[in-house]
Amino acid sequence: MPESRSILITGATGLLGRSVLQRLLAADARLRAVVLVRDSSSCASIADTANVHGRVTLVEGDLRSAGLCLTSETLAMIRRQVSAIIHLAASTSFSNTLEDARVVNTTGTLHLLELARECRGFERFAYVSTAFVAGRRTGVITEELASPSAGWVNAYEQSKYEAELFVCREAADWTILRPATVVCDDRNGAVSQLNAVHRALRLYRAGLVAMMPGINGSTLDVVTTEFVADAIARLALRDDARGKIVHLCAGEGALPLGELLDMTYACWARDSEWRRRGIARPPLVDLATYALFERSIEEVGDASIKRLTRSLSHFVPQLALPKVFDTTTARALLGDGAPPVRDFWLPMLQRLFVDGHATLGTPRAA
Amino acid sequence: MSAPGISGIAYALPAHRRDLSELAALGQLESDPSLLAQFGFDGVHVAEEETPYSLATTAATTMLSEQRVPPESIDLLLYCGTSSLAFAPHGGTADAACLLASTRRFQYPATRLQYDLGLERASTIALDQLACTSLFAAVRLARATIAVGEARRVLCVSAEFFPECAGREAIFNCTSDAGCAVLVDGGAQRNRIVASAEITKGYYWDADALRNEIVASYFPTAKHVIDETLRRAGWSPNDVTWVIPHNVSVRSWEILLGLAGVPRARLWDRNVSRIGHTLAGDNFINLRDAIDDGSIRPGDRLLLFSYGYGAHWTALAVEA
Ligand SMILES: NC(=O)c1ccc[n+]([C@@H]2O[C@H](COP(=O)([O-])OP(=O)(O)OC[C@H]3O[C@@H](n4cnc5c(N)ncnc54)[C@H](OP(=O)(O)O)[C@@H]3O)[C@@H](O)[C@H]2O)c1
Repeated sequence: MPESRSILITGATGLLGRSVLQRLLAADARLRAVVLVRDSSSCASIADTANVHGRVTLVEGDLRSAGLCLTSETLAMIRRQVSAIIHLAASTSFSNTLEDARVVNTTGTLHLLELARECRGFERFAYVSTAFVAGRRTGVITEELASPSAGWVNAYEQSKYEAELFVCREAADWTILRPATVVCDDRNGAVSQLNAVHRALRLYRAGLVAMMPGINGSTLDVVTTEFVADAIARLALRDDARGKIVHLCAGEGALPLGELLDMTYACWARDSEWRRRGIARPPLVDLATYALFERSIEEVGDASIKRLTRSLSHFVPQLALPKVFDTTTARALLGDGAPPVRDFWLPMLQRLFVDGHATLGTPRAA
Repeated sequence: MSAPGISGIAYALPAHRRDLSELAALGQLESDPSLLAQFGFDGVHVAEEETPYSLATTAATTMLSEQRVPPESIDLLLYCGTSSLAFAPHGGTADAACLLASTRRFQYPATRLQYDLGLERASTIALDQLACTSLFAAVRLARATIAVGEARRVLCVSAEFFPECAGREAIFNCTSDAGCAVLVDGGAQRNRIVASAEITKGYYWDADALRNEIVASYFPTAKHVIDETLRRAGWSPNDVTWVIPHNVSVRSWEILLGLAGVPRARLWDRNVSRIGHTLAGDNFINLRDAIDDGSIRPGDRLLLFSYGYGAHWTALAVEA
């Protein structure tokens, strides 16, 4: 990498992007960042970072269009200055149609790859994917390109998978980082952005969901923002990460679903008001039984329970597709693994349900 | 003393039957009849001439005579049903409020039944507020009373109907009027009651306000009660020869069997279309019919499960 370089980063207004940008700037005082945002007026915190460091340039654009809706001056500036792209932006909703997911996640990535090809002295395209490009596959998931044969649980997974294929095909030098689902900021359990997991937990806590897909051997692989953002910042530009696919996952530290439910319901039961309701712990069921239940809700449920159940259907089937994410490459590169889920799951529940979450921002699906 | 068992069952259905299209034409269904047909329903029996009391009497009389049980051998009569509606004919309920305001409120069906059946020695207890699990509660109470030596023979009688104004659908289940009598005997040769379990969740008492929560709680709690019953019986799910259901939607049974780990083929569901659900104890009606049609053989392991809106979950393990 050149002595004084510029990176282009996307998704810096998002949960992970924010943290990654801060870490990159803090780690390398010479680093300059061109930050692609959709609306610079709503990016006060990034603008502040720019004022403090004078190393951040905000550019307004959108992944959905070829040329990213950037002005020709901006494009020229990027082509001249940018030697690496760290691509985090994505449409992270699990309920998107395939068309909507693809337009940002797949085609958007392609647009960025096209721009990368035009950059002089371009070195690295770091793509932040998801561990769940594995889709419906079960068993040990290696840090390699997935085969599409098993299909996916939702369009988000598929669109991210397709983007990975483009990255490997189109970029001369790439790194793919695949986080598991982020559920809290750090080991202390603070939650600064709600996602589908938190919303699902709320529904289960409210006693509005009858069952959970899952079988013996199912685990929940979740991680903290701290771990993922730190790993992305450390690996995205590293030479020895070239051509590597890296699982930023709990891996062996994922929690078996049964144990996770035990912990969760025991935590909720400490609240005597909640305990008195006698809300039953959901049984783990195979996908066929869960599908029958979903069908029955579609047939007999009122509008609100249908909506709730559909919101879960976009991702909970993953729980019945047991997989263990191999983290050999991640460990070798980082020198350590992700914190075990057991370390932060309870603190996260505590923050979310006991202490409340007045400080939470706008919920996003991820 | 051998374990108490069910030595006789009889039931009475009103003569008149309405199929789904008739019920729909009369505005007595909330859902599309084709959906209810998918759930296994075909029609229900509707009391026109009969009263709950007459259905109870017919069921009990039939049972005593079929089993050749001398009325005076009954130690305890357990009656289940809404007493203020017991004598109302033609589904008429307009009288119910006036009845409560007068001394006629003390005209109880339980005591009248004791007299009409000639149960000279039987003490009488009435059960209410347990919805579709009432007859289960009576059978459990009978078993416990026999087990402590306070009775040898207990007659459990249940009769319920839907007033005309109520329609015929309760939460996607088509419902018949019916009466059912079950004899629990300390010396029964068949249908030994091996185990039971039940859960009441008072949080769901206001069923209308918590409808979605109840839909969600139904399955996990049902699974829990079934698991617990099987555990107490020392059976595995695969040991169950027949599940004798309450006649609610077959779809909901398929889900519950999936949860409980009992194969779908073990569900004795022949009465869902013929009778539909009853508040009076469809599991026991089904048990009788399953014995009569030869489905059940001595030694078979039977699992009976029912849910009572309001909210009670209950199950029995019975060895045929
Ligand atoms: N968080 C997780 O649990 C998780 C787990 C696995 C993988 N990932 C991956 O990690 C990356 C970051 O996730 P996150 O949770 O930080 O996401 P997030 O909070 O949902 O943020 C998404 C980011 O993408 C930007 N974006 C969306 N559509 C865009 C478009 N058309 N053009 C330009 N920018 C656009 C958003 O900008 P606006 O502010 O303008 O909306 C925002 O900055 C994503 O690629 C995601 O797939 C996340």
